[in-house]
Amino acid sequence: MADSTEKNRKKQKRTKAKAVESTFLSKTRKPEKKGKRKGRDNDQRKRRGGGPRLPNVLRQELGLDAKRNSSSDSDSEGGEDVRDFYELDEEVAQEESGKNRRFDEVENYQYELPDDFEDEEVPSDEGEDDSDKSEGEDQRDKEDGERHLRMLQDITGIPKEAFDGEKKKREEVLLSQADVRSEIVTIHDLLAPLQGMPGYSSLRKRVLQQEKQPMTLQAPLPKSERDKVQRKVSDKFARKEITKWEGVVKRNREAPTLFFEQDQNLGYSTVGAIASGFEPRTEFEKQMAQLRQDPELVEAYKNDGAKMLELNKVSVKDVIDRQNRLAKMRSLLFRHEMKAKRIKKIKSKTYHKIKKKERQKAASAELEMNPEAAKQQAIKQEQKRAEERLTLKHKNSSKWAKRILKRGLDVQDDATRAAIAEQLQKHEELKRKMNSMNNNESSTDEESSDDDDEEEDESKRALKALNKAKEKTAKVLEEGDEAPKKGLFALPFMERGLKKRQEEAYEEARQALEDYDATLNQLQDEGEEGEEETQQNSSAVKMTGKRTFGPAKKPVAQEYNKRKRLDDFGKDSDSEEEDGEFDEPVPQIIEDKNDKTEGVQLGTALLDEEQVMAQHAIFRNLDDMEKAVGPKTSYEVAIFAGDSFRKVRSDSGHSNKATTSSVIHTSKPSHETKETDQSYETDSDTEMVEGFLTTNLITDQKPDYELPSQAELVRRVFAGDDVAAEFERDKLETLNEENPEPEKPALVPGWGQWTHVQKKKGLPDWMVREHEEKKRKRGEALKKRKDAKFDHVIISETINRKAEKLMATSLPFPFTSKEAYEGNMRMPIGPDFNPASALSALNRPEIIKKPGLIIQPIEYEEVDPDETHDQPKRIIQGAKPKQSSKEKSKKGKLSNKLVPKTLGKKVKST
Amino acid sequence: MGEKEESNEPQSLNPASNQEEGILDKLEKKAKKYLRGNKTNLKNLRDKKLKGQLEVREKIYGNAAKVAARAEEWLKPSEEGLLEPENPLERTYRIQQSSILPEVDVLSVSKAFDMKLPDLGPYTIRYLSNGRYMLLGGQKGHLAMIDVLKMDCIKEFQVKERVRDVVFLQNDQLFAVAQKKFTYVYNRHGTEIHCLKENQHPLKLEYLEKHFLLVGTNNFSQLHYQDISTGQVVANYRTGLGPTSVMCSNPYNSIISLGHSGGKLTMWKPTSGKPLITMLCHHGPITAVAYHPSGNLVATAGMDKKVKIWDLRKFESIHSIPGHAQTLDFSQKGLLALANGSRVQVWRDKGDQDFGLYMTHSIPKGYQVGTVKFRPYEDVLGLGHSMGFSSILIPGSGEPNFDSWVANPYETSKQRSKKEVRALLDKLPPESIMLDPGSIGMVRERQRKEKLTKREIEQQMVEAVVEVKSNVEIKNKTKGRNKPSKRAKRKQEEVFNAKKPFLEKQRETKEGPPQKKRRVLLEVAEDLPKSLQRFAKKKPM
Repeated sequence: MADSTEKNRKKQKRTKAKAVESTFLSKTRKPEKKGKRKGRDNDQRKRRGGGPRLPNVLRQELGLDAKRNSSSDSDSEGGEDVRDFYELDEEVAQEESGKNRRFDEVENYQYELPDDFEDEEVPSDEGEDDSDKSEGEDQRDKEDGERHLRMLQDITGIPKEAFDGEKKKREEVLLSQADVRSEIVTIHDLLAPLQGMPGYSSLRKRVLQQEKQPMTLQAPLPKSERDKVQRKVSDKFARKEITKWEGVVKRNREAPTLFFEQDQNLGYSTVGAIASGFEPRTEFEKQMAQLRQDPELVEAYKNDGAKMLELNKVSVKDVIDRQNRLAKMRSLLFRHEMKAKRIKKIKSKTYHKIKKKERQKAASAELEMNPEAAKQQAIKQEQKRAEERLTLKHKNSSKWAKRILKRGLDVQDDATRAAIAEQLQKHEELKRKMNSMNNNESSTDEESSDDDDEEEDESKRALKALNKAKEKTAKVLEEGDEAPKKGLFALPFMERGLKKRQEEAYEEARQALEDYDATLNQLQDEGEEGEEETQQNSSAVKMTGKRTFGPAKKPVAQEYNKRKRLDDFGKDSDSEEEDGEFDEPVPQIIEDKNDKTEGVQLGTALLDEEQVMAQHAIFRNLDDMEKAVGPKTSYEVAIFAGDSFRKVRSDSGHSNKATTSSVIHTSKPSHETKETDQSYETDSDTEMVEGFLTTNLITDQKPDYELPSQAELVRRVFAGDDVAAEFERDKLETLNEENPEPEKPALVPGWGQWTHVQKKKGLPDWMVREHEEKKRKRGEALKKRKDAKFDHVIISETINRKAEKLMATSLPFPFTSKEAYEGNMRMPIGPDFNPASALSALNRPEIIKKPGLIIQPIEYEEVDPDETHDQPKRIIQGAKPKQSSKEKSKKGKLSNKLVPKTLGKKVKST
Repeated sequence: MGEKEESNEPQSLNPASNQEEGILDKLEKKAKKYLRGNKTNLKNLRDKKLKGQLEVREKIYGNAAKVAARAEEWLKPSEEGLLEPENPLERTYRIQQSSILPEVDVLSVSKAFDMKLPDLGPYTIRYLSNGRYMLLGGQKGHLAMIDVLKMDCIKEFQVKERVRDVVFLQNDQLFAVAQKKFTYVYNRHGTEIHCLKENQHPLKLEYLEKHFLLVGTNNFSQLHYQDISTGQVVANYRTGLGPTSVMCSNPYNSIISLGHSGGKLTMWKPTSGKPLITMLCHHGPITAVAYHPSGNLVATAGMDKKVKIWDLRKFESIHSIPGHAQTLDFSQKGLLALANGSRVQVWRDKGDQDFGLYMTHSIPKGYQVGTVKFRPYEDVLGLGHSMGFSSILIPGSGEPNFDSWVANPYETSKQRSKKEVRALLDKLPPESIMLDPGSIGMVRERQRKEKLTKREIEQQMVEAVVEVKSNVEIKNKTKGRNKPSKRAKRKQEEVFNAKKPFLEKQRETKEGPPQKKRRVLLEVAEDLPKSLQRFAKKKPM
């Protein structure tokens, strides 16, 4: 049935074929045939180029296409097509399938048509069309037919022949068609019969045009390019997807503060809370839990534990005692350790010798006390002795000793000899037979008897010693002048020196001898007098101590006093201060000078700090005047400054004289000036009362001003002048200090002065120029100063290093201009300067979030890009994020704006 | 005679639209004041992000200013009053206290009073910064602390020693007294807490609240700064200009001004041994100094019979009042009181720094006024004189509305202690005292000679290297020379070249030989032979 419908369609097409060409143009060929197809096209082109165009039938007759004909002839029905099909199979086999890789892989052969090649030259003949169709389908049709037959047979149960007729018919038709057009029909063939018909020329033109177009095909893009294109497209989509987030992100970024939901239950907050909710899950945990909750065990633990605790009871005192003891032990141990360390470090031989001796002494003492130890010691000694006797270790048997003996003892120095002797002695000692206890006693008896004697009369021993000393000194004296008479000592001055020394020594010796004699005599006397004398002696010593102490102390004290007095003379002011007359520590000079005018000073009850102050001022002024080189005429100018009193003298004579005179003056003016000096802060009580009285009297008419005398006026005028000049001088000084004047150009002392050449030439040019330059610079600096315009102001331009740390050295990060930074800084943001309601906005942090809160990933919302941030704060995670997301899905835009909770609910309910 | 006293009722509000507009205008004006300067010009900023941030910031500032303006509008109901003449011929300085007193309310009447203390000498007075307490210091050792709000004597005692000055410390709990030999600190019960022996023979005291510094001058012409919270002596400088008892602190920047006998006014800070500014104000000794609360004006009185008001921005005398003055004081609202003998004058700024005589007052003849002090937050002027103390009413002198953040006359003990703690936490270091405290936190201008620190050099180097790395284009060279290794090498070389100058600089900073001080040849030296000139020394001044 399908076949029949197809046939019908074909027939329809056949009728239309010539009229509708566009359908043919769009018709596509199947890809399997392209190889073959191509070859044929080429053939056609060659043919076309070769000579005049002839219809295929004619050509066949001419024998041009003999080869093809022969092959086509051999095939029966649609033979060519069938063969084509097989050919194709073979051709594709190796190279194009890419199995054989001996050659470079080429994407597309030149003779090949691309996949998507649109065949424009398909002949538009109906027959062609038919054959075209049949080419692929004939085979299939055949098979299909057979299958169809079989199917029909199966279904109907009627023998195969009943349906065969239909097929035969069809085959016949096909055969007849094949007879008519046994070869390929080109478009020209088809056009030929149309010649002369209307529209033919235009049709032909178009065909020709198409033929003229080159048949080479575009190579497909390389893979990278193709990928790029693909990426571009995918990027476009991805961008679209991502940019939708831009609004949200931008808004968050621009928001001065981000809030992360504040009222959310964060769950557990303590370890206890977490532990209480624990449930055993794993096997092990379960077992543990079972064990822990086993009632028997719990019971047992409760009982036993209590008992154990009872047993464990220790009193606090015990614990403290124990701790103390332990601490003590520890500290002792530590100390001991430290000591041992220290001792171990000591390298001194003498120290170790002493130490050894001590040890031995201790050991011997122990021997006496402890018989057991003694026994042990004896055994040890015995062992050693045996060893010595066996080995003869110390009897010059060592290599060293032998060598020395070989070289001869006489040649050796003393130390070696001594060492050898010592060794031998050791040998003897070791070899000696151990004395029994008795023996030991007997041997020591002799010595002990000596000791006893000594104990009996120490005096005798002293006598002996003295005698010995006497003898020795005498001997020395006798030996006398055996001075070396050779070498250096033979020189005359050395000789003289030696002589002198000898004499001295002689003298000394003689004196010593005399002393000895005296003491000897004394001792002898004492020996008779006995103990009483010694006691007396001691008491005498005590007495003398007392006696000496008394007078000795006194002189010292006296001396001290004397010294102190001397000191006082040296610096009077100290003592005076101590005395309390002058409580104020006033500079030394004044004090000294005061001394000279003591009579005047101390006598007056008015002497007060104020006066001292006045003097102070005077001295300062005098100093000033000394500095100032003014006219030599002398003025006396008095100015009252607060409570200080100044006196100025331009003529500075002897300072001492001046001061004395001024001091004498001071008492007077202070009284005189009471009226004019309106400072209420006057000195002593009496004065003040006076001040009141006087002011009372005077202020009756004009309380604050009294017409001054002419002299007073003059004084004041001069004082004013002085002030201005002083200020000018001060200013100059500070200027010089802050912008120092350049050093005057000068040669190194002595340079070029011998010949006077340099003197004539003057200073070198460069020096002068440099100096000028510096001067100019200084002038500029002075002009730039803030106080350059003001005569009456000095503004210090020294840089304050300490305050530098309060300023920024460079602009802080985000700022790029100083103006913006300072503008931002101008506003105080503290609570002192702002109302409470505005304060929180001023110093709100960038992010507000509860600790422990999990920050959820950002959620998508639609944001109006032109929206301005009116709201200073921005809430990121609402109180119920899930709910809000639901809302969003439902309501879209509404939920995007921050909907209050209540409103949200309403929306949901509706 | 029109007399307008402090009106305590809030302004009545009519719904009339023009009034509303007026209020809005007022609010705007006030908001401008609270913006503290112009908005920053953000147009020139290139950085968009920064621009956005600053815009937000400006918006917040604007809101804060608005809120502050509104708060001021509604929370500050009272306005200062003043004496106004009804006709042009009338003069306010003719109005006597006796004519004021019957016109004012009972409370205000009680503020004008006299205390006769004839025995213990001229009195100096001092008010606490909130105007609640007053200290009286008699020269002969009489000290008293009075609660002037309740008219209650808190403590009165005798130190039996000369008292030169008294000053409150942080609050009413402690006060310092300059006595004969030392400065003592007493608490409000009269117990001696400290004896500050570092500053001997003090003459005058001043207290810098924000810095916790007690400043004093002494007989040895020294200026002494002592931190009362730590006890540390912050600074002790010799002024070299003679002992003085003329001292005043600038309320704006805490700079201390001293008046000297040479007519000089010197300004000091604790971190510099030389005066910041020296002004020659008078041709004679200076007797008194006072600062305007804005800190821009200073009034000086000299023995040359002049009282001058100076503008410290221009260093110019803007007004000169003839006459002597022993003491001066500026009120919170800028009235200047000066006293000489038994006469007291009050001068007022009529606008544009045009000072005119506002009020006069004279105490009984023979009384010598030693100190005039305006009571803060009240229209009261206190006079300490030789026969005790008296207070008079000067309308329009005090700030009518107090800010409890600054000073609260009615503060409770708890508030007081809290404030003290807060003040301690906010204590400013002595370095922060400077002529222009606004420059703190700003970018410091680099001095020409100033050497770069190591870190700064490093930073610059890094910047230079980054620039080189990003900008340097290395040319393609011929075949053999274009190896990647060679290219890398060339690049590295470029980087090194960029680094080089900075490295040299760094080396210089590290081991620069100490520069020799250039000796300035003195004039004295010129007399000497050349070979000896170098040994000439500056004479000790």
